[in-house]
Amino acid sequence: MQNTISFRKKARARWGVIFVIPTCVVLFVFVFYPICYTLVLSLNEYNFAYDMHMKFVGLKNFVDMFKDIQFLTALKNTLQFTLFMFVILVVLSLSLALLLFNKKRRSWLYRVSIFMPIVVPASLICILFSFMLADNFGIVNKFLVSIGLSGWSHNWLTDAKTARVWVIIVSVWGKVGFCTILFLSGLQNISQDMFEAAEIDGAVGWKKLIHIMIPNLTETFVVVGIWAILQCLKLFVTPNVLTKGGPANATLVMYQNIYNTAFNYFDMGYAAAQAFVLTALVMIFSLLNMKLSKGEN
Amino acid sequence: MARKQKLSFSIFVSAVLIVVSVLFLFPIFFCIFTSFKESAEIIRDITFIPHKWSSVNYDYVFARGAKYLRYYLNTIIITASSVAITLVLSALSGYAFARLHFRGSKFLLASILFLLAFPLCAILIPIYMMEYELRLLNSYLGIILPNLLCILPFSIFIMRGAFIDMSDELEDSAEIDGCSVPQTFFNIMLPLAQNALIIVLVSGFYNVWGEYTISKTLASKDSIMPISVALTLLKSEDWNYGVLAAAITLSIIPPIVVFAVFQDKLVEGMSAGAIKG
Repeated sequence: MQNTISFRKKARARWGVIFVIPTCVVLFVFVFYPICYTLVLSLNEYNFAYDMHMKFVGLKNFVDMFKDIQFLTALKNTLQFTLFMFVILVVLSLSLALLLFNKKRRSWLYRVSIFMPIVVPASLICILFSFMLADNFGIVNKFLVSIGLSGWSHNWLTDAKTARVWVIIVSVWGKVGFCTILFLSGLQNISQDMFEAAEIDGAVGWKKLIHIMIPNLTETFVVVGIWAILQCLKLFVTPNVLTKGGPANATLVMYQNIYNTAFNYFDMGYAAAQAFVLTALVMIFSLLNMKLSKGEN
Repeated sequence: MARKQKLSFSIFVSAVLIVVSVLFLFPIFFCIFTSFKESAEIIRDITFIPHKWSSVNYDYVFARGAKYLRYYLNTIIITASSVAITLVLSALSGYAFARLHFRGSKFLLASILFLLAFPLCAILIPIYMMEYELRLLNSYLGIILPNLLCILPFSIFIMRGAFIDMSDELEDSAEIDGCSVPQTFFNIMLPLAQNALIIVLVSGFYNVWGEYTISKTLASKDSIMPISVALTLLKSEDWNYGVLAAAITLSIIPPIVVFAVFQDKLVEGMSAGAIKG
């Protein structure tokens, strides 16, 4: 008997390996190998358009970066966007989740309209926004004029300040639904008993929120936090389609800068080094988020 | 008094939700409405709801069919193949990670999660170079394979989650009846994971459908380019926003319809996947 069990176990393990092999091959060729390659590239000077071979330069790319105004601008913008977008994403999605949680009946329509932007192709929606924000025939300016705020009408995407604001708004529009789903399901997982007990104790409104909901959402905060940070740091589609990083690099993010360096200038080594800095930022922020959320508990 | 407070609170909640919903839906409705306007109305009158409904933009899209339909077809080919491959790979490996323990399976799973954190651009640079050498740039295969990366890890976690929740007895009794592991998997376990398969299918569908970065990097020819990239390049070429809106409408309708149909399952599955992952 003992023998058959261990035999079965072995057979299952063997099949397990066979079952994961196709996935592992794909991930190895398209993720693991490229990451190692990027690491090698980042230590070399290699222009894909001119150079026949890589030239080993050690940490030169990493040193150059911090003298490069373009890179430093991109870094600064990325950090700023991340800060604003992250706060807005978390606060807005938590508020929306609380609203939806309180709206027990007939909430289908609200849920669909808040979650829908997740599935709409971001690049296409950016084309649409660039149209809505156009200077002389955009509907946003037309609306401002029609309610008597013609002074506010603006060439939104060519002014550095407002271009940044709109990049954030459009990005949040597309991403906030997913965070809301996570928070909502976190709220729904809190046991009903806990709410009832709290109500008997006289906890209402804000008190209920602070003493019951927030502490019970720690895990959700970690998940939402990591997801949101990844999305903010990897911001690319919205600035790329909406403003192309302009005006005057006001919305140039790291991702866009890496893309330009690699695929417009073919300076692969330098781009790879920048990509590693971005990766490091992602890791640092994710860890920080995990630590902070755990600390609160 | 308390009751009155409750009522006014619920009115407040509804009011805020209505405003938010309108704001969220505005761009989508604006797009659909614009696609039915004539260009005078778009540029000069700047209406929201068209005064005169016209199909002129759609006529144009279908008349210049070859170009737009090509983009559309490219999107369909890339999406269908990526999702099909993902379904197979994630079902197999999800089952293995959930139920067929082998040495190092936990470590392997953790590494997949870790790889997820790498920004795509770090991976795309070498992929571009690899595909250049292998002449895969501007080919369907060259776009489909990297697309798997975006959806495969999440799909694996969804499938794994589904298989982990199933009882051992089913498997045991199947194997006592003499089913081999693959037989048990295909005949008994896989049909039970139907809901998870739908989530993988739907989330994969809209992710690849709207994917931009990979296609923009690896496709530069019209014959391969999906619609999500092609339309952004058209923008400066012909400034006819009516036609553009019609083309955009045609390409955002499929994911929206699919989402509306599977909304409940999808929302449940996405949150479960994210928490377990």
